[in-house]
Amino acid sequence: MISAILQSAVSGASSASHPLAGTAAEYMWLLPLLPLLGFVINGVLSLNSARFGPGDPNTPGHHPHSEGAADAPAISHAEQAGAFGDDHHAVKRHRWAGIVSFVGPGVLILSFGLAVAMFLAMTAGTMESPFVQKYFTWMATGDLSIDAAFQLDQLSMVMVLVITGVGSLIHIFSIGYMRDDPGYPRYFAYLNLFVFFMLVLVLGANYPVLFVGWEGVGLCSYLLIGFWFSDKANADAGKKAFIVNRIGDFGLLVAMFLLFANLGALDFVGVNARALQLQAGGALVTAICLFMFLGCAGKSAQIPLYVWLPDAMAGPTPVSALIHAATMVTAGVYLIARSAVLFSLSPVASLTVAVIGAVTALFAATIGLKQWDIKKVLAYSTISQLGYMFIGVGVGAYVSGIFHLVTHSFFKALLFLGAGSVIHAMHGAYHRTHSHEDAQDMRNMGGLRRFLPVTWVLMWLATLAIAGIPPFAGFFSKDEILASAFERAHGSTLASATWLGIPGSTLLYIIYALGLVSALLTAIYMTRMMLYTFHGPTRTGAQEEGHLHEAPWVMTAPLVVLGVLSVFGGWLNLPEVITDIIPLGARDMLGHWLEPVVGSATARVSAGEVHASVTVEELLILAAIVVAVSGIVFAWARLKPARLVRKRDAVAEEGFERVVAEKYFVDEAYDRAIITPTYAVSRNVLWRIVDNGVIDGLFVNGSAAVARGFGWMGSRLQTGNTGTYAWVLVIGVVAMLGAFTLR
Amino acid sequence: MTGFLESIGYNNWVLVALLLIPLVGAALIFVVGRRSAESEGKGLEDPGARQIAFYTFLIEFIVSLGLWFSFDPANAGWQASLDIPWIPTWGVRFTLGVDGIALMMVLLTTFIMPLTVLGSWTSVRTKVRSYYALLLILTTGMLGVFLARDLFLFYVMWEVMLVPMYFIIGIWGGERRIYASLKFFIYTMLPSLLMLVAIIYLGLHARDATGTPNFSYDNMLAMSSLTPKAALWLFGAFAFAFAVKVPMFPFHTWLPDAHVEAPTAGSVVLAGIMLKMGTFGFLRFALPLFPGAAMSPTVRTLMLVLAVIGIIYGALVAMVQPDFKKLVAYSSVSHLGFVMLGIFALTVQSVQGALMIMISHGISTGALFLLIGMIYERKHSRLIESYGGIARVVPMFAAILTFVALSSIGLPGTNGFIGEFLVLVGSFRTYPVFATIAATGVIFAAAYLLWAIQRILFNPLDKTENTHLPDLNRRELALLAPLVAAIIWLGVYPAPVLRRMEAASQALVNRVETRSDMAAPPPVATR
Amino acid sequence: MNFDLSRPGDLAAALGPDLLLMGGAMLLLLWAAWRPESAENQRQVGLGSIGLCVLVLIAIGLYAYRGATAGNGVIAVDNFRWAADAIFLLATIGTIAMSLDYNPREGILAGESHVLLLLATSGMMILAAARDLIIVFLGIELMSIAIYVLVGINRRRERSAEGAIKYFLLGAFSTAFLLYGIALVYGATGATNFAEIAGNIDRLGLATSGLLLVGLALLVVGFGFKVAAAPFHMWAPDVYEGAPTPITAYMAAAVKAAAFAAFFRLWLEAFPNLITTWHDPVWWLAVVTMVVGNLVALAQRNIKRLLAYSSIAHAGYILVAMVVGTGLGSSAFMFYLFAYTMATLGAFAVIVAMGEAGEDRMGVDEYSGLWNVRPGLAVAMAVFMLALLGFPIFGGIGFFAKWYVLQAALQTPSPQTRLAVILVLTSVLSAGYYLYVVMVMFMKPRASTAVLPARTPGWTGAVVWGTAAIILVFGLFPDALVSVTKRSTLGVAGKPAPVVTTR
Repeated sequence: MISAILQSAVSGASSASHPLAGTAAEYMWLLPLLPLLGFVINGVLSLNSARFGPGDPNTPGHHPHSEGAADAPAISHAEQAGAFGDDHHAVKRHRWAGIVSFVGPGVLILSFGLAVAMFLAMTAGTMESPFVQKYFTWMATGDLSIDAAFQLDQLSMVMVLVITGVGSLIHIFSIGYMRDDPGYPRYFAYLNLFVFFMLVLVLGANYPVLFVGWEGVGLCSYLLIGFWFSDKANADAGKKAFIVNRIGDFGLLVAMFLLFANLGALDFVGVNARALQLQAGGALVTAICLFMFLGCAGKSAQIPLYVWLPDAMAGPTPVSALIHAATMVTAGVYLIARSAVLFSLSPVASLTVAVIGAVTALFAATIGLKQWDIKKVLAYSTISQLGYMFIGVGVGAYVSGIFHLVTHSFFKALLFLGAGSVIHAMHGAYHRTHSHEDAQDMRNMGGLRRFLPVTWVLMWLATLAIAGIPPFAGFFSKDEILASAFERAHGSTLASATWLGIPGSTLLYIIYALGLVSALLTAIYMTRMMLYTFHGPTRTGAQEEGHLHEAPWVMTAPLVVLGVLSVFGGWLNLPEVITDIIPLGARDMLGHWLEPVVGSATARVSAGEVHASVTVEELLILAAIVVAVSGIVFAWARLKPARLVRKRDAVAEEGFERVVAEKYFVDEAYDRAIITPTYAVSRNVLWRIVDNGVIDGLFVNGSAAVARGFGWMGSRLQTGNTGTYAWVLVIGVVAMLGAFTLR
Repeated sequence: MTGFLESIGYNNWVLVALLLIPLVGAALIFVVGRRSAESEGKGLEDPGARQIAFYTFLIEFIVSLGLWFSFDPANAGWQASLDIPWIPTWGVRFTLGVDGIALMMVLLTTFIMPLTVLGSWTSVRTKVRSYYALLLILTTGMLGVFLARDLFLFYVMWEVMLVPMYFIIGIWGGERRIYASLKFFIYTMLPSLLMLVAIIYLGLHARDATGTPNFSYDNMLAMSSLTPKAALWLFGAFAFAFAVKVPMFPFHTWLPDAHVEAPTAGSVVLAGIMLKMGTFGFLRFALPLFPGAAMSPTVRTLMLVLAVIGIIYGALVAMVQPDFKKLVAYSSVSHLGFVMLGIFALTVQSVQGALMIMISHGISTGALFLLIGMIYERKHSRLIESYGGIARVVPMFAAILTFVALSSIGLPGTNGFIGEFLVLVGSFRTYPVFATIAATGVIFAAAYLLWAIQRILFNPLDKTENTHLPDLNRRELALLAPLVAAIIWLGVYPAPVLRRMEAASQALVNRVETRSDMAAPPPVATR
Repeated sequence: MNFDLSRPGDLAAALGPDLLLMGGAMLLLLWAAWRPESAENQRQVGLGSIGLCVLVLIAIGLYAYRGATAGNGVIAVDNFRWAADAIFLLATIGTIAMSLDYNPREGILAGESHVLLLLATSGMMILAAARDLIIVFLGIELMSIAIYVLVGINRRRERSAEGAIKYFLLGAFSTAFLLYGIALVYGATGATNFAEIAGNIDRLGLATSGLLLVGLALLVVGFGFKVAAAPFHMWAPDVYEGAPTPITAYMAAAVKAAAFAAFFRLWLEAFPNLITTWHDPVWWLAVVTMVVGNLVALAQRNIKRLLAYSSIAHAGYILVAMVVGTGLGSSAFMFYLFAYTMATLGAFAVIVAMGEAGEDRMGVDEYSGLWNVRPGLAVAMAVFMLALLGFPIFGGIGFFAKWYVLQAALQTPSPQTRLAVILVLTSVLSAGYYLYVVMVMFMKPRASTAVLPARTPGWTGAVVWGTAAIILVFGLFPDALVSVTKRSTLGVAGKPAPVVTTR
C-alpha cells in the first residue's frame, strides 16, 4: 500500500495538466506523512522504554494541579511530580528525551517548510481548480467509489500553513514545557499523530477522507486531554470530549449519507459540481447542511455541544493551545467554508449557523466573566471566538470566517502558551515549597509582571488583539465579520429568507447586536484576566515569590513569534475602508486568495445585497472600536485586583453570579436529563428486566422448568404398584376404543 | 502465483484439503501427543499437542491463502468446486465450492484459528490433547458450513460445529460453564431441527427425475414452484435458526453466558467465526432461496426493526456490564445488528458492508477476547472494577487494547469503520430512517467501550495487587501483531477484499430483487 | 427360489432359519441340562449360542441373497423379514456377549439363560415372518414367555423377581386384549390371513364395521403394550430396572423391534385401506408416546430408568414412520430399528461394564468424571447418547435414522408436517437428558469416594466397541445401509400411497 502511495505520488496520479503538476505540490502526501513518521518513532520509543514495573519513572506522571487526592498508595511522590520535575525529586528526564525533542518538532518544521514551498508554487501561477492527487482506491463497491486522495487548493493551503506553522511553534514550546515529564515521548507521539490527522482533515479530497482526519483529531484530543490519565478527572474529560464529538460525527455521517444518496458523489469536486442540481433553499440541502453543522457544533464546541471544551483544559497547556484553540476546534469552520456551495444554497441553514454562533459567542463570553482558572477563561473565550467565526461563515462571509480563524489561531495560541508559561512558573514555585495550592487559579497569582515580563508584554498584545483594538490582528477579522453580518441584512438572500418565522434581516441585526455585546464582554473578561494575573499585589505567597521566574528561551521564543503575528496578522486582509483612509498595504489579500474556492458561494449569498455606503462602514468600524476600548476601560476602572483574596480564603459567589460562575449548570442539567437516565434505564430495565427477567427467565429457563415439572409429575405417576399400571392401561384401552369407534 | 497454483492443480483439491487437514491434525495429536506427554509431563499435560495443533492450523492457513490468489473476482459463481456423491439413494451429494462471500469467511477462519491456539497456550492445562483436537474438529465443521453447496451436507456441518464447542465450553469453561454449555447447545439445536424439517421439505420439493430427493443448492435456487405460503414457512424455519446464531434480539441471551464461561479460544471462535454462521446463512440460504418471503414488506420491516433494536439495545446493555467479557458479548449483539441491517437493506454497499463487518468484527472482537484472556491469566478476574490505572503497569497491553477497542468503535482508518460506513451508506438509500437510527449506534459504541477502557487502563492505580502485573510477553505480542496488522490493513486498504466479494454480493442483490416477486421466471442457477 | 407355501416341504424350507435356530436351541438346552451349573459350562453354552446365531445369520444372508420369494401364505418370505431377523440376531449376539461377563458376576450360572434368549429370538423371527394372526399370536407368546422367565432369572434379587411378576401380570393382561382383538377381527372378516383380511374388508365393505374397529383398537393396545407406547408403557421402567441389564438391553432393543415388525406388517398388509380409520388413533399414540417418554425421562436419575423412558420415546418416533403407512415408512422403520438397536445395546453394554455385583450403582451420578478414569467408556457412551439424540457424525447413524423417519413423514401426498415438527421438538427435549449423561461423564469432577470401575471385561468391551464402530462408520457412509433398508421395503410399495387428511 505504501508502495502504491509512493509510486502514484511520484508518477503523479494527478491531473498532469494542472498548473501545480510537477511543482512542490506533487509532494503534498509528504505533509501528513512526516508527522506520521514522527508518531511512529516517538511511539516506539515511548513503548520500548515503558516496559518496567510501576516504580520506574517512565510511568506517566501527574498534572500539576491534580493533587494527591485521587492518587493510589502505590504511586510514589516522585510520580506525582508530573510535568515539572526538578532537583527536588526523583523524576528523571526520559532517557530518549534527546531524540524525541529532535524528532517531534523536527518533522513538523520539515512539513512547514514543504508547505511554504507549496505556497510559493501556488502563488507562482493562478489556479482556478483544486489540485487533486489520487493515491489508491479506498472503498469501491457498486456505484460508490471513494479514493484515498488529497486535494490542494487555496483554502487547504491556508489551513496547512496555520497547522504546520503554529503547530511548529507549539511543538518547540512543548520541548521546554514537557521536558521533565515521564511521558515525554508519548506526548510528542500523540502530538505528531494529531498533526497527521489534522493535515489529512484539511487535505482530504472527499468527505470520507476528511472524516478520517475529523475523527482522528478527535482521538488525539481524547488521548492528550487524558494524557495524565491517572487522574480520573482527566480521563473523564477525555472520554467526554470523544463522546460529545461522536454526537457531532453522527451528524456529519448522516450528511454524507444524504449527499451520496442524492448526489451520488462524496468528493468535493463532484459535490460542488452537482450541488446546483439541488433545489436552492429546498428541504434536502437544508437537511444536509444542518446535519453537517451538527458535526461542526461538536468539533468546534458550539451550543449545545460546547460542554467538552472547558473540561478539555485538563490536558497539557500546549495541547490546549494547539488543539483546543488554534487548529482542531476550527475544523468546523473549515468544513463549512469547504462546503460553502451547499450552505450558500440554504439560507435557513446558514442563518441557523449564524444564530448559533452569535448565541454561543455571547453565552460563552458571559461565563468567561466569572472564571477563576486562567485556562478556563481562555477556554470560554475560545468558544466565544469560534462563535464569531460561525457568524462569519453563517452569513456567507466565508473569507472573514477563515480570516478570523487565522488571526485567532495566532493570538489565542499566544494567550494559551502565555498562560502555559505562567502556570509553569506558578507550579514550579509551588512545587519547590511543596505547597498544594492551585497553580492555575488567578486568585493565587497577581503582580506576575514583575517575574514574567516577556510573557506579560506578549499576552497584553494578544489581549488587545482579541479585544479588537486596532491595528492588532483581531480587530480586522472581527470587524469584518460584524460588518458583513450587518450588511447582509440589506437585501441579501439571507435577509429575504425567514428563520422560524423571523424575517432574515431582523435576525441579522440581532446577530450583529449580539456580536457587538460579546465584543464588549470579550474586552472585559480579557482585561480582567490580565489584571488579576499580572497586576496588583502578588498573592502567590511569600516564600513562593522567590521561585517565580520567566520561562526558558525555548518557550519564550515561540511566544515572541506569535506576538509579532498577532500584531500584524490583520494585514492579511485589510478592508477597503481602511486602506482608503490609511494606505497600510494591499487590501483583501486573503479575499482574493480564497476567491476561487468560496467566491461563487459568497456571491450567491450576497446576491441582491445593497452595498452599504462608506460612511456606514466607517460607523460600524467606529462602533467596534468604541465597544472594545470601553470594555477595557470599564474593566480597568471597576475591577480592583487589590481586593482579591487567595483561592482558599475566597467565599463562594451568590445568586446570579454563582449561576454564571457555575456555567449556568449546563453540565449538571445534561447529566440529570440524559446521562443518568440512560444508564439507569439500561441497567435496571433493559438488562435486569428485559434480558435477565423476561427473555432469559420467563422464556428460556421458564420453558425448561415447565418441561422438568411435567417430567417430575409423570415420574410421580410411576408408583410401582401394578394395580395403578393396570388402571392406566385400561384408561388407554378406553381411549383407543373411543378413538376408533367414536367418529 | 496463480500460474504456480494451476501447475499444482490447486483448485481441484484445496477445499477437501481444508476440511481434512484439521482432522489429520486431530488424529496426530492422539497418536503423537501421548508420547510427548510421557516425555515431559510437568504440570502441563501433553505439551506436544499445542505444537501439533498450532502447526496444523498454520499449514491450514497457508493452504487456504492460495484461494486469495486463485480466486477470480470477476466470477460471481462457484469456484474450486468439487462434487462427489455421498448418499446416492437419498440424492445427497458432497458438493463444495467457494464464492466471494465464502472465500472471505474461510480465510477469516483459517486466519483466526492459529491465533486461538497461541491464545490458549498456557491457559489450558488440563486434557490438553482433547482440547486442541476439539478445536481442530470444530474448524472442519465451520469450514464445511461455509463451503457446503448441498443443504444436507450444510446441515450436517452446521450441527457438527455444536458438539466440540459444547465440550470446549463445558469442560474448560468458567464457574457456570455447565449451565452455559447446555444453554448454548439446546438454544441453537431447537431452531436447527426446525430448519432440518424445512430442508427435508425443500429436498422433497426439489425431487429430481428419478424420484429421489435432491438437496443441491443450485437446483433449489433454480426451483421457483414454492407457494408463497410454503416459502414463508420455510423462510421462517431458516431465519429462526440463523437469527439465534447471529444472535438477533431477542434470541441473543445464550451469547453472554456462552462468551463469559467459554475459555479464551472458545470466546474467540464463537465471536470471531460462529456468529458469522448466522449472517452467512441469511446471505447464502434464507434470502436467495426465499426472496419472496424475505422481501415481503412485513418480514423485511420486522427484520430491520429487530436489527436496529439489536444495535441500540446491545450497546445500551453492554454499557452497564460489570464483566468485561459480557460487555464485549453484548457489543457483538450490537455489531451483528449492523450486519443484519445491511443484509436486509439489500443494496450492494450495505451487503458488502455487512460482509466487511463480519470480517472486521471477527478480527477486532477476537483480539478483544484474546486480550481479556491475557489479563485474566494474570489477575483471574474479568470484572472491570478490579482493574484501573493499569496502563502505567502494562503499557504494551494498554496500547494494544486501546487500539483494538478503537477499531471496534469504528474509528476511521481501522477495519471497523469501513463496514459500518458501507452498511449505513448503503441502507440509507433504501431505509433512511432505520439507517439514521442505527447511526446513533456509533455514539453508544464509543460510550461503552471508552468507559470500560478508562476504568481498566486509566484512572488512579488504586489496587496494590495490580501494581505488579507483568506486561505482554513475546508470544502474546506475536499473536496480537497479525491482528493489529489486519485491523490497519482492512481499514486503510480494504479495496482488494471488497473487490473479491463484489461480484457475489452484486449477484445476490440482483437475484433477490428480481425474484422477490414470485411471478418472476427462475433464472439459471449460478454455477 | 420361489416357495409354494401350501406344500409342507416348501413351508419348512421357507421357515429354514427359524427352524435352524429352534433346533439348535433345543440341542443347546439338552447340553446345558446335562452338565452341572457352573460358570464354565454357562460360558460354553453362551459361546455355542453365539455360534448358532451366526449360523442363522449366514442362512438368512443366503436366503436374502438368493432372493427367496413365496406366494401368499401364513408366512412371508421377503427382505423385510430377513432384515428384521438380522437385527434380532445381532441384538441377541450382543446380549449373550454381555451376559457372558454379566451372569457369572451376578451369580447367574444356569446356562439355560442363553437358550431362553435363543427361544425368545426364534419367537421374534416368527413374528417378523407372520402373515397370519394366529402365527402372530404364536410368535408373541413364544417370545414373551421366554422373556418373563429371563426378567426374573436372577432369583437372588427381589427387584428382579418383582419386575418379572409385574411383566408377567401386565403382559398377560395385554395379551388378552391382543387375543380378543384377533378374535374380533376374525369375527368381522372371517379370515386370519393378512391378505384375505384385506381382501374381505374391500369385498364386504367392512370399513365401518364396529366389530372390526373394536378389534383394531384392541390390536393397537396389544402391540402398544409390547412396544411400550404410552399410555401402555407403565410396566417398562420398573421391568427394565429390575431385569438383569443384558436382558433389559434385549427387551429395549429386540423385543420392541419384533413387536414393531409384526405390527407394521399387520397394519400395512391387512389394513392398508383402513388407513383413514387407524391414522388418527395411531397419530395420537405416536404424539403421546413421544411427549410422555421424553418429558418423564427428563426427571430420571437412574440410568436404566432413563434409558427405559428414552426407549419409550423412540417407540414414539418409530410410530411416526408407521403413521404415514407407506413403503418408505417401512424402510425408514427398518433403518431406525437398526440404529436404535445398536445405540441401545451399546449403552447397556456400558452400563454392564460400569456395574458391579448386585447392580446397586445405577445412579447417573455414578458416572461423574468417568472421562477422567475410563475415557474410552465415556466417549463410547457419549456416542451412544448422541446417536439416540439423533446427532450427525458424532451420533453416527442416529441422525440418519431420524432423517429417514422425517423424510418418510414428509414424503407422502399429504406431508405429516406437524408430526415432523412435534418429533423434532420432542427430540430437543431429549437433549435435556442425553446431554445430562454426557455432562456428568465429562464435566462433573470424579467424586473422591467413587470406586474405580473395573477394567471393561472382554465380551462387553467387544459389544461397546463393535456397536460404537458400526454407529460411527455407517454414520459417515450410510449408503449401503440405506439401500439395504430400501430393498427391505414392505410390499405396499406397488400400491399408491394412501391419501390421509393431515392433522
